[in-house]
Amino acid sequence: MLEYEFMQRAFIAGLLIAILASISGTFIVLKRYSLMGETLAHSSLVGVAVGLVAGYNPLWVAVVFAVLSSWLIEYLRSNFALYSDAILSIMLSGSLALAVIIVSLGGAFNNSLFSYLFGSILSVSNDDLVTIVLFGSFSLGLLLIFSKELFFICYDEEVAKTSGIKVKFLNFLLVTVVAIIIALSIRVVGSLLIGALMVIPTAAALQFRVGFKNTMFISLAFALFSVLFGMTTSYYYSLPSGATIVLSIIALFIISLIINKK
Amino acid sequence: MQLEFKVPIFDVKNLSFIVRGNTILSNISLEIFHGEYIAIIGPNGGGKTTLIRMLLGLEKPTSGEVKLFGKKIKNFKEWYKIGFVPQRASLVDENFPATVEDIVKMGRVAKCGIFTGFSKKDAEVVKDAMAKMDILHLKEKMVGTLSGGQRQRAMIARALASSPEILILDEPNTGVDMLSQQRFYKLLSKLNKDENITIVFITHDIGVIADDITRLFTINQKATICNNPKETISCEDISKLYGRESHLISNHKHNHLGEIEC
Repeated sequence: MLEYEFMQRAFIAGLLIAILASISGTFIVLKRYSLMGETLAHSSLVGVAVGLVAGYNPLWVAVVFAVLSSWLIEYLRSNFALYSDAILSIMLSGSLALAVIIVSLGGAFNNSLFSYLFGSILSVSNDDLVTIVLFGSFSLGLLLIFSKELFFICYDEEVAKTSGIKVKFLNFLLVTVVAIIIALSIRVVGSLLIGALMVIPTAAALQFRVGFKNTMFISLAFALFSVLFGMTTSYYYSLPSGATIVLSIIALFIISLIINKK
Repeated sequence: MQLEFKVPIFDVKNLSFIVRGNTILSNISLEIFHGEYIAIIGPNGGGKTTLIRMLLGLEKPTSGEVKLFGKKIKNFKEWYKIGFVPQRASLVDENFPATVEDIVKMGRVAKCGIFTGFSKKDAEVVKDAMAKMDILHLKEKMVGTLSGGQRQRAMIARALASSPEILILDEPNTGVDMLSQQRFYKLLSKLNKDENITIVFITHDIGVIADDITRLFTINQKATICNNPKETISCEDISKLYGRESHLISNHKHNHLGEIEC
């Protein structure tokens, strides 16, 4: 299977997304932002729709829309008396509605959009790979540099603030990085499934009740395994890649639940 | 004769806090000096926690001013000088993936450089803070598996890890058994006397610490400062403060102060 160039690209893209989604997902889950992945994935879809209709690279426009959307979410959360999950839910529905209207007005409701909804890892181009590597290494670098501060904020935002950590800045930074990672990922696993790849590996790793670093490593290992296993299975059984990856990680989650039952 | 002017750690002038027409705090002025051990008492909803939140810059006052170490809050940068243990200290998320050591290390995060990890000195200070709180043997344990008293000591160790000059504790003994509470009060007294750490402590249990405190602040919208609480505060004062008949349950050491029973 790896003799085909498109499969090599698919594996590289898949593994990169697994690393990015699982590491950023650890912070997102611990901050009780699990729905953030779904919401920003749908905001990315607005960018994809604009890109398809206007003739720009959909991935780049998706990054811009996801980042703008993440800032709006963080601004609303910090400055208004709104519950985080309510904000995320409103943004999710609103983004999806907007994306559908844009593509339907532009007459672009076709297979291209479908591939961003469900992911089309086999059609990842060299340009896509370069974009993922560039933005992905930048995002991952920021997450690792600020990991100890972000971990503190996830545990207790107020105490972190009183100890002199720039909580507001770091919250914006985290959602920005997550937005970039999600926008990059929708080409591979699709906007409907990226939330799962971000949340489920961490949810499974948390069942092992180990420290922060080990939780992150387990989450990373689960994400990498599920991408490898999911893609191989999808290749041999002609199944959709994104959906197969997500079902693989759900299987790992169920196994984690069973073996760590109290 | 040489006059010595001491800069107070906290200098609060004419502080008021009004939310949607409700006055929470009204025209409060007070100073807290180095080496003091101050207890803050008052009825629930009387504004004790709000006052602490304003001292720490977590809430902005409607009017008035707070200075920390002689600087206005917006210009104050040395937050590591202040250790804060919040009200919910013993109520942690049981599934959070952090060991006791992870939690205590958080206290060093603001002192570390952004691009550097924890140094050898940081590791020593963290170890020392855990030893002081008698939790060194628990360092590998997950914080969710600790008892209320152990969690409380872990949170104080985290506050101590930044080598603070002042420790602010907002009813941290909620949900902690009597034996652990007594041990906790002894530790606070030791930190104040031996380490010369200023203590500000919100409590309903002034009887146990009456021998240790230097001043007592009573907060119920307004502040009353009692400079010699052991000798001067009476049941009438407490009844007036709590707005209903209250009794002081005397402890064996003296007849003036004790637990408040409303």
